[in-house]
Amino acid sequence: MAYPSMGEAHRRITDYLNKFGDAVSYQDVASLAQLFSFSSNSPSLLSLADALNFFQDANRLIKQSDKFSQFGEILAPLFRSLQSYRLGNLVEAYHAFEKFANAFIQEFRNWESAWALQALYVIAYEIRVLAERADRELSSNGKSPEKLKGAGSFLMKVFGVLAGKGPKRVGALYVTCQLFKIYFKLGTVHLCRSVIRSIETARIFDFEEFPRRDKVTYMYYTGRLEVFNENFPAADHKLSYALTHCNPLREANIRMILKYLIPVKLSLGILPKTCLLEKYNLLEYNDVVQALTRGDLRLLRHALQEHEDQFLRSGVYLVLEKLELQVYQRLVKKIYFIQKQKDPGKAHQLKLEVIVKALKWLEMDMDLDEVECIMTILIYKNLVKGYFAHKSKVVVLSKQDPFPKLNGKPVNS
Amino acid sequence: MEDDDEMMNQAANTQTLASVDPNAVENRYVVNANQGQTSLYVPSTTGSEAASWNMYRVENHSAESGSFSNSTYHHVQHSEPSSRTVQDGSNATSLATSSSLGGTNTQPDYGGYTSYSNSAGTYSHGSAGYQGYYSGYQQQPNPSYSQPVGAYQNTGAPYQPISSFQNTGSYAGPTSYSSTYYNPGDYQTAGGYPSSSYTHQTTTWNGSNYANYTTQQYSNYTQDSSGAYAAGNAGANSLHYQQHYKQWADYYNQTEVSCAPGTENLSVASTSTQLPQVSQVPGVSGGYPTSNSQAPTTFAPPWRPESSSSQTPLLQPGATVTGAYDSYRTHGAPSFQNQHPSPVQPHFVKPLESKSSYGNFQEQQKTACPQLPNLQYPVAQQAPQNYQPPMQTVQSLETQRVSKLQIQTNPRIASNLPLGLSKLDKEGPNNSAIAKPAYISVSLPKSSEKVLSNDAADTVLKAGVFPKSLKSYVQRALALCKDEKQSAACQEIMKEIITKATSDGTIHTRDWDAEPLFPIPNTDMTDKNNSQNSTPVSLFSKYKKSPTRRTKSRWEPLEEKSVDKLGSLNNYAAKYSSRVPLDEKDRKPIGASSEGKTDVMKKIRFPQMEQKSASKTVQRQAKRQRLADASAADNGDASSDSDKEQNLTAYYSGAIALANTPEERKRRENRSKRFEKVQGNRAESNHFKAKNAGTGNLYARRTSALVLSKSFEDGGNRAVEDIDWDALTVRGTCQEIEKRYLRLTSAPDPSTVRPEEVLEKALLMVQNSQKNYFYKCDQLKSIRQDLTVQRIRNHLTVKVYEAHARFALEVGDLPEYNQCQSQLKILYAEGIEGCHMEFAAYNLLCVIMHSNNNRDLLSSMSRLSAEAKKDQAVQHALAVRAAVTSGNYVLFFRLYKTAPNLNSCLMDLYVEKMRYKAVSCMSRSYRPQVPVSYIAQVLGFSSGVLTNEGSDEKESDGLEDCVDWLKTHGACLVVDSNGEMQLDAKASSSTLYMPDPEDAVAHGDSSLAVNDFLTRTSS
Repeated sequence: MAYPSMGEAHRRITDYLNKFGDAVSYQDVASLAQLFSFSSNSPSLLSLADALNFFQDANRLIKQSDKFSQFGEILAPLFRSLQSYRLGNLVEAYHAFEKFANAFIQEFRNWESAWALQALYVIAYEIRVLAERADRELSSNGKSPEKLKGAGSFLMKVFGVLAGKGPKRVGALYVTCQLFKIYFKLGTVHLCRSVIRSIETARIFDFEEFPRRDKVTYMYYTGRLEVFNENFPAADHKLSYALTHCNPLREANIRMILKYLIPVKLSLGILPKTCLLEKYNLLEYNDVVQALTRGDLRLLRHALQEHEDQFLRSGVYLVLEKLELQVYQRLVKKIYFIQKQKDPGKAHQLKLEVIVKALKWLEMDMDLDEVECIMTILIYKNLVKGYFAHKSKVVVLSKQDPFPKLNGKPVNS
Repeated sequence: MEDDDEMMNQAANTQTLASVDPNAVENRYVVNANQGQTSLYVPSTTGSEAASWNMYRVENHSAESGSFSNSTYHHVQHSEPSSRTVQDGSNATSLATSSSLGGTNTQPDYGGYTSYSNSAGTYSHGSAGYQGYYSGYQQQPNPSYSQPVGAYQNTGAPYQPISSFQNTGSYAGPTSYSSTYYNPGDYQTAGGYPSSSYTHQTTTWNGSNYANYTTQQYSNYTQDSSGAYAAGNAGANSLHYQQHYKQWADYYNQTEVSCAPGTENLSVASTSTQLPQVSQVPGVSGGYPTSNSQAPTTFAPPWRPESSSSQTPLLQPGATVTGAYDSYRTHGAPSFQNQHPSPVQPHFVKPLESKSSYGNFQEQQKTACPQLPNLQYPVAQQAPQNYQPPMQTVQSLETQRVSKLQIQTNPRIASNLPLGLSKLDKEGPNNSAIAKPAYISVSLPKSSEKVLSNDAADTVLKAGVFPKSLKSYVQRALALCKDEKQSAACQEIMKEIITKATSDGTIHTRDWDAEPLFPIPNTDMTDKNNSQNSTPVSLFSKYKKSPTRRTKSRWEPLEEKSVDKLGSLNNYAAKYSSRVPLDEKDRKPIGASSEGKTDVMKKIRFPQMEQKSASKTVQRQAKRQRLADASAADNGDASSDSDKEQNLTAYYSGAIALANTPEERKRRENRSKRFEKVQGNRAESNHFKAKNAGTGNLYARRTSALVLSKSFEDGGNRAVEDIDWDALTVRGTCQEIEKRYLRLTSAPDPSTVRPEEVLEKALLMVQNSQKNYFYKCDQLKSIRQDLTVQRIRNHLTVKVYEAHARFALEVGDLPEYNQCQSQLKILYAEGIEGCHMEFAAYNLLCVIMHSNNNRDLLSSMSRLSAEAKKDQAVQHALAVRAAVTSGNYVLFFRLYKTAPNLNSCLMDLYVEKMRYKAVSCMSRSYRPQVPVSYIAQVLGFSSGVLTNEGSDEKESDGLEDCVDWLKTHGACLVVDSNGEMQLDAKASSSTLYMPDPEDAVAHGDSSLAVNDFLTRTSS
């Protein structure tokens, strides 16, 4: 890397300082945000970093003029962070950046208007990304990665600054989304609860007034939380909201949403078309859907086993596993239809032996007791209407709608 | 004995005086301890009163033990609440008489003392009155302080029994003071204190094992301090401070003395030092009290004047220290006061002053010593009002005497505490002196710690010639020094220590590291030390030992509290600032007098010491000042704490080195034996019993380790990683296979820790034991503790945790199981072989059964390796999970019957829920009826398979159980035409309910219900 001359370095630094000063005094948030956006790797920032590394006494330049010295708390750590960032020392860069961010928050607090929100967004984003990278550096050095956690608590602070009344509240949801990303990554989703409560219980601010992208992100994450809680109607609502409001051109985002929405819909008895799965490359669900339509228990189990790791990681394994009852229902329904074709008069009496035999064909080795148990569960869960006569080992189906459809309602628990 | 005689002469003409002296000494020791504690405490600021109290307790104990050694003291020992109260009454009377009398030598003296003590003079009392205070204090806690005067009387009472003189004198002083001084203004504050602070103290004390003693002592202390404060308002404070100064000087002298050839001289020196310490202690205590509650008020007045100017700036320097400092300053006299404005300077000045005062003191003591008792006392009496210097000197002299006695007792006591040996009584002549040292040791530890640290530093300087351990020791001591000043001071101290050690010949024998498994034999040491060093050494050792132990457990809390207290002190200071001028005036004269006295004392007692002391004392003082500064700084400054602690650690290490001499050990053992009675309350006493000759060294090691760790912990700046834990790790020597679990409250004693081979046997023994779970749990916990203490982490550790986890599972003791499981997780992660799969399955089952958290379940499932999924136990667990999530009760109970390992034990905990779910499901799905026999079979009531004819009886048993269960859950049962019991599904669907568990307990965890647990586990 070619080192700039001393004068060049000096010029770049003062240039940056002037930009910063101008952006603040003219409240030009776009250019201000640019100044903080490390991850953009913009040439101007990189060259500034080189200049800083070459011209070691940048603090003197900050202190030289009153215009900058009042922002010394902000600028000095920012420079340090940029230097370390350029040198690839991400842990150091994170430390300095957090200092800078704290100083900036302090300043931001004093600005009555929310003009600098965009810059704050950039900072919130940068600190998260930087923390993730610093953690990677730490863990590769055998140290415990804790920076993301630190970034989480910093963003909590930022949330506190924004969450009150006033024009700054608009920014709260963005910070919330950054927090979600951190918490989901850290596996500490329980920490989301307080933020969610603050967002959802606030009467002074209508959720719809938040920026759309933030709303979509927020709905996505809260929808995922509902999936964990197996609260399928709520999850359906939130994920569907995210799906309908997200940018239709962002297929990656749509896929992320569908990844959770499809299992939710499945457990509500709504099956996707194969073309949808194909379009968004979600074919791991294809077998599951097929199993549901055919009542093929073996296929379901096979699909679950095949994609077990994937489903466990994304957290839908248990949801998909619960589809088993629907598969049984489908199977019994099929048997019922066959019987009806043979002997409509006795179609509503399903002998347990028949079901066991059907399962045997599916290579599901189950004895009478077990199948009896499953039938009672199906009745109990209202997937089958009727009753079970233990003495004769017969499932007696209701003559009216013996296999009620879920139609968007979750399986009776 | 000579010393004693001298003491006797000095103290009083009559026997009573002698007896009194011991008491006084003891008291002073206590005071000293307090001082030390205070300094230590100061750092803690918040004051964990309890912790500070603990320290006090120790001191008290020492004092008590000292008293024990003395026949007179027995009363003190008795000093149980009831007995004490009685004594108090008597004391009160005696006190009153003494105060009023004054005719007898002692009484007059006391009067003087009392005046001192009352005003500032708790310290002066310290010599005589202190003991009284102690006893009184001890008692006081119980009585409660409603009446300050009464409290004093109480304190006095114990004393009286011990030594009529001291008690009376001290009492009289207090009483008289209380009447006069207390009533005036300080008393108001004092009154306030008694109630609040006293109660606190008492409560805290009670909590601890030492509670009785400590409480009493504490209360005494507090009272003393309060009393001192009250007096302190005027001259008392100044006096105290002067005393403090002297004490410090004495301290130094004492340390030197210990090294010095002449035991007598040494003892004298020690006494003198002790006295100063004692006086300091009061000051300290005052400082503490403030922090605690009592002290604040009382102290506040004295302090405030001084401190108000300087303290506010200095406040941080020292909550605890401040107390001492202030005292110093006041004693130091005007110069200090001047210094106060600038905290740093004051401190420095103080050292200088103290030096001068030292010299004076010693001189005075020399001259006065013979006559002093009589003369001084009278003076003292006068002093109370004016607080004239002479008075102070007298007090100091007295205190010095006392201190000597105390020192002796202290070593013994200290030894008693750790070792529980009983040789003190046998020693007879020495007893008074020795016994006292023991006390001192107890009390001293705190104060001594600082000194010791300095000593350690000195030794460090000379380390080059000495053993590696000594070098490392020195390095450690130096490492603790934050700044150059400290290190310089530290070096000075270390030099002294090393010189002493060399002169004693103990340098090579001492366990400098305090870590070596096998301490060097003491025998070599004994010869050299016997005549001269024995007492001093013992004192040191005792100090070191006892303090360290107690410091550990108690220190940390204390420090925190001390900060808070400081804040309160500051406030007080501000309030009382108006009074300050008066105090200062009073103090100045006093300080001057005290100085003169100190010099005298030094000359007399510490010929050798004096030479050194001239330079050293200055240095030491400087060090102390620094310490004080550090403590003061503690309020805001974490670093200051570390400084203190560093010094302390150094001190401790020095003390430890001293402690290792054979004589010391013997004494300690004797003392410890004595103490066993006293310690009856303490569960720990068992641990303290030393069976091996090497215990002394072991103790020293432990203490040093403790100190080190302590200092590190508190230091904040010092990372734990900097500690060489390998060097500190205990290696057990205990060969007994069976050992009860006792939660450690101090560093582990290697003699009670079992090495790995023994632990292995112990594990086998437990596993084969037929005894109930409680026994096994207890034994396994003690094994785990020994493993942890020795940092053994290998297959044995895993085995122990696995065994414990299994036992816990068998009886459903989930909390204990969880502890083991979490440890096992870590151990497995470290790659130690074990039944990894078995416990992975348990873990999985635990998550399934007891946490309704899908995320946890998902994450623990996704963590399973492919290999693990093939394991039978894990597969079983996964199948159970599937059965639970799908509600497949048939599968669940089949899995229950085929559960490998202890999986069924965990499933047990879910059976009830599963059955209820199943019956609900059945009653909803079946029509019209379900045979109960089927239910019994499906829901695991019958153990056998239906078709097995041989198991008819079992089936019927299962059937009955099932019927019972169904009935208790509200099912409707009918008998059909065949006489078979049937569940009426439709009727039952609306009547099923989950009954409240019979063993329901308020806290929601029935497994914690003792009775139920007992029935399940004791078999």
